[in-house]
This record gives sequence, C-alpha cells and structure tokens, in this order.
Amino acid sequence: MTGNGVVHLMTAGLANANQSDAPGSRCWLGSVLKLATSIRIQYKILGLVIGVVVLLSTMIVWQMGNILTTQMRHQLDKQAVSLGSDVAARATNELLINNAYAVYELIQNTLKNNEDVVYIFVVDAQGNVLAHTFGEAFPKDLLNANQIDSEEKFHLTAFRTEIGIVRDVAVLILDGKLGIVRIGLSENGLQKAVWQMTRNLLLIALFVSSLGLVAAVLLTRVLTKPIQQLVALTQRVAAGELDVQMSVSPGDEIGILAQAFNQMTKSLSQNHREREELMTQLKEKEEMRQHLLEKVMTAQEEERKRISRELHDETSQALTSVMVGLKVLETEAAYCGVAERVGEMRKIVAQTLEEVHHLARELRPSVLDDLGLVTALDRYVRDYSKTHRIEVDFHVTGFEGLRLPAPVEVVLYRIVQEALTNVAKYAQAKTVSVLLDWRENMVSAIIEDDGVGFEPARAVNTPGQGLGLFGMQERAALLGGSLQIESKLGVGTTLFIKIPINPDHENYKEEIG
Amino acid sequence: MNSGKLRLLLGDDHAVLRAGLRVLLNAEPDLEVVGEAADGHEVLDQVAALSPDLILLDLTMPKMNGLACIEQIAAMHPETRILVLTMHDEEEYLKAVLKAGASGYVLKKAADVELLSAIRTVARGEIYIYPSLVPTLVGNMVKPKGDAKGEHKLRNLSARELEVLRLLALGHTNHEIAELICVSVKTVETYKARIMEKLGTNKRAELVRFALENGIISS
Repeated sequence: MTGNGVVHLMTAGLANANQSDAPGSRCWLGSVLKLATSIRIQYKILGLVIGVVVLLSTMIVWQMGNILTTQMRHQLDKQAVSLGSDVAARATNELLINNAYAVYELIQNTLKNNEDVVYIFVVDAQGNVLAHTFGEAFPKDLLNANQIDSEEKFHLTAFRTEIGIVRDVAVLILDGKLGIVRIGLSENGLQKAVWQMTRNLLLIALFVSSLGLVAAVLLTRVLTKPIQQLVALTQRVAAGELDVQMSVSPGDEIGILAQAFNQMTKSLSQNHREREELMTQLKEKEEMRQHLLEKVMTAQEEERKRISRELHDETSQALTSVMVGLKVLETEAAYCGVAERVGEMRKIVAQTLEEVHHLARELRPSVLDDLGLVTALDRYVRDYSKTHRIEVDFHVTGFEGLRLPAPVEVVLYRIVQEALTNVAKYAQAKTVSVLLDWRENMVSAIIEDDGVGFEPARAVNTPGQGLGLFGMQERAALLGGSLQIESKLGVGTTLFIKIPINPDHENYKEEIG
Repeated sequence: MNSGKLRLLLGDDHAVLRAGLRVLLNAEPDLEVVGEAADGHEVLDQVAALSPDLILLDLTMPKMNGLACIEQIAAMHPETRILVLTMHDEEEYLKAVLKAGASGYVLKKAADVELLSAIRTVARGEIYIYPSLVPTLVGNMVKPKGDAKGEHKLRNLSARELEVLRLLALGHTNHEIAELICVSVKTVETYKARIMEKLGTNKRAELVRFALENGIISS
C-alpha cells in the first residue's frame, strides 16, 4: 500500500513538475501545496495515519526509554549502595580481626550472588587493596576513579570501561577507619532491559500501525467510493444524460452532497425538458413563419404576375386598339383640324401605352416567365444602366440556354433587382458587376459595386436597407440558399447569393412561350 | 392576288384590336383583310382555308402560342409571309421569331405608325425589324473579341495572384478565399486590388471574363 503510494506520489510529483515549468524558489511553497492537493484522497489519509502513528510511537519509545533508564539507574545505584553498606558492615568484624581471607570470601560471594556486580574490592585506610575480585591483575586506575570524603556515607560515580558503563559506589568501613569498599555495577543489564522494552513497544507500534492502515484503507474506501460514484454520474450528466440519480447514503456530508446532486440533476433535466419543449415550439413557429413567408411571397409574385399579364394582355391591347382606331380616324377626318387633335390624342395614348408596358414589366417581366432569368436580367440591367447612369457589367456562365427552376429564377431576379436598387440608392457607384454562375448543383449570383461601401453589421440595423438585406436573405433561405455580404468603406460592396439546385430538376431548353 | 391587293390574315386574340386593324388596313387601297383568327389553331385553319399572302400575328395567343404557330406555318405554307405584331420588345423574342420563320417584327406601340410600311416591306420579300430593336441586335452580334494582351497580362500575375484570381472568378467570398489559402481577409483584399490593377479593370465581371478567356477557370 505504502509502496504504491510512493510510486503514485512520485509520478504525481513528476507530472506536477512538468505542468508548472516555472522554476525557482518563488513558487516552491506553491508547488508543494499543489503537489499535496494533487494527491488522491486515499493516499492523503494513508499518509496522515502512518505519519501520526510513526511520530507517536517514536515519541513514546524515546520517552519511555528515558524514564526507564533513569528509573533503573536509580535502582542500580540503590542496589550498589545497599550492597556496599552490607559488604562494609560485614567486613568490619573481619577487618578488625584482620581476617583478609574472610573478606575475600565475602566479596566473592557477593559477586556471585549479584549478576549486575562487575567487581568488588576493599581498600584499607592507607589506600592498599586488601581484597579484590579481579583475579590476578588489579587495574590501578580504578583506585582513583571514585574518591570519597570522610563526611560522606557513600559516593557514587559512573564511568565508561571496555565492558560498558560501570556505576561505581564507594562505602566507608567504620567511618573510614578501616578502609573503603568499592563495588562496580554494570549497566548492561539495564540497557538490555531498556532495549527489550523498546523492541516490544516498537512491535506494538507496528501492530497498531497496521491496524491503523487497515482502518485508513477502509475509511478511504468508505469516503472515496461515493465520491467516485458521484464523479462517474457527473460525467454522465456532462455527456448529456440528465436523468441520473445517486443512491443516497446516510446523512453524512457525502449523503448531503448526493442529495444536492440529485436535486441538481432533477432541476437540470426539468430545465432541459422545458427547453426542449420551447425549442420544439420555436421550431414549429419558425416552420410556420417560413411557410407563411413563402406563401406571402408566392402570393405576391402571383398577384404581380396576374396584374402584369392583365396590363400587358388586356389594357395594352385595348390601348393599342384605341391607337389604331385613332389612326384610322386621323386619315379619314382630314379636315377642320380634327386630324390634328386626333393625332395629339394618339400620342397621349401611345405614351400611356408605354407607361402601362413599363408598369407591367416592373411588376413582373413576362420575359422572366417566357424566356428565363438570364434574358430578364439582361433586360433589367440594361434599363437600370440607362435610368441610373451606372455602368453594369453583366456576365453569365454555366447556363448555356438552360433554365433554372421557376422559383429560383424569380428569387434570383428579385434579389438582384433589390441589390441593384440598393446600389443606386446608397452606393454612389460608378460600375456594378452582376455575375450569374451555374455550376453543378449550385447557382450563384454576385453583385459587386465600386461604391462607398458600408459596415455590414450596421446596415442590417439601418431600417430601410437592413430590411432589404433581410428580405433578400429570407428569400434565399426559403430555397435553402444563403446570402453573404462583404463590404469595405471606400472600396465597395459585394453580395454573394448561393442557391442549391436539386439535381433531379429537369433542365429544359430555353423556349419562348 | 386576283384583285391585285395584298391579302391579309389577322391573328390576334383581341377582338377590338382586330376590328381596329381591319379598318386601318382596309382603308389602304393595296391591302385587304381576308380573315381573322383569335387563337393559334384558328390561325392554322384560316391559313389552310384562305392561303393569305401575309399573316399579321400576335405572339401571345391562347391554345397555341405564336411561336409554335410560326413554325407550323413556315413548314406547311412557306409561301405565306409572317409579320409579328407584339407587345414584347425583348430581342430574344425577335431572334426566336426570325429563327422560326417570320419575316418581320413590329411592336404594337408603333402599330399606328410603322405597321403599314412593315407590311409592305415584308410583302416585298424583305425583312422588317422594329428600328429601336436593331441597335441591340447588331450590338450583340459584334461583341468585342477577347483581349489580345491577355497572355501578356497573365504573365504579370504571380502564382499567388493567379490562385486568388481563380478563386475570385469561381465566386468565392474574400472570407472563403482567406480560409482556403490561409491568409487574412485583408491580404485577400490587397491581392484582389493588385490583380485588378494589373489587369487594368475595376470590375469583377472583367476578372471572371479574363479568367474564362485564359483558361484559369472553365465555364
């Protein structure tokens, strides 16, 4: 577990280093914090538990060791003093009778019965060693290692020897009149005991640590499982699946989070449904609007066509008849100035006829229906050029006597007409190019002038012109086409109209109807 | 023929006009209206029955339009001359009518003034065309030839300019061109201005024409 954690931590660290390539100590703390936050919760908790356990056990072991050592030293010292006093008391009589052997026996027995005792020796008042437990060679340095005053009962000291730390006590025999007993006790036993205790404590700590680890793992499982679940659900929500609900666990913080999450998805899906409903309604309305628009435009075109035909076929014919009749009258009534008056009338009728003809063409040129878009536009462009004194270069490619479907012809004719009217009204142009191009399943019209230009975004908001552009766009859109405007102040304006042509449409040869 | 007068047939769906024309034409000593017809079928029947010297024909008629009528008459009665009397002043009508076999074309608005001379011209075996239509007809016949300096101008254009010219001629917007050749719209505008300057024009239509004539694009 820990090994895993380390590996993960290291990779996380590396990834982190890669991400923040800003070196230097300035963001050192920041990167550490970043590293800390980038570690998974599981490892954070595990690390915390291990850290606490290790710190706690270290401190306990250290403290216990200290206490134990102090205590045991104290005990050792007490033992040394009591042993020393005992030996001194028992040696007094022997020394008084000058029985050195008995003293020797005494110290040998004491040494044998006390395992901590390293050595015992007795020194007389003059400083000569009377008896000792060293066997043959008595280390002379030892004599001066512990000095005792005659006022003291005993004197304790400790020093390091080749067999470890030795605690040495000096006890006066009969107030020093008979000499001194010196006993050395080894701390080895003490240290062994301390070490054993430390080991035991460490074992316990290890055991507790592993218990803690298991607990931590379980805890993180308990903590992160709902979080992971929540993450998975959130991802599903992000992917657009809004009808997800999380099983609510007991009322802890995560349970509350789950509840909040459920509430959120609920209101989200409700919002979504409402929006969908609105969208559907909007779509329906847009469809209806389009349908209506189409109907209105078709009706308008039909009406114009009807009136135009009426003017053309009926009114004009009638006027022509009048004209012819007047001509007859003029030739027959060649007297009393009648002929002259009739001639004038004939001129008025001729003028009216011309106007009616013009009106009919403006409404809907019969040539558009009879001869097609190219002819109609060619005609319109010529009239336009004459009326507005703007040079129009009309160029057609890809038609070769073929005709577009009637609705496309009408729409393109109207758009070009509207565009050229706009040019005359606003552009102050000298020349205009009108291009018609039919390539495969797409017919495009381009109207480009060299006038003052405008900002397309603003023009759409300008009432008159904007509505015109909008109308053109709508007309094109009805046939699945598009209208784009590019304009630059001082350079001119270009209108691009593209309308797709259904390849099933049967192109028919231009015919005069 | 027997009376020496020119025998005319009126083909027009407008009765009042026919009446007026009949009075006008019959007033002329050398003309005689021998029949009237209100639609295409009637015209064909009357031609077969009366074999007139000349038919005065409207283009817009019920049942069979004037053009189809002309084709049939020209096929079956080639000796009968046809003069079209119509409202339409578009040259395309004129072209189609002449192609179909008519000999003359008069606008109704000039019927009072020009009709008589038109009838006599056509009767003489000549072609009569309403005078104001002649310039456009002739003008379109003598279309300017392709620029001989085209090749030379072509060489003045850099490869990039040629590419921009090709895309312009294909009808792309500046934005589209900018995206296609990975430059800014401003750069495209600059290219366009430079191309126009080099080709000596300020019209997009000229660019397209130049591109077509020099094979930069095909139609």
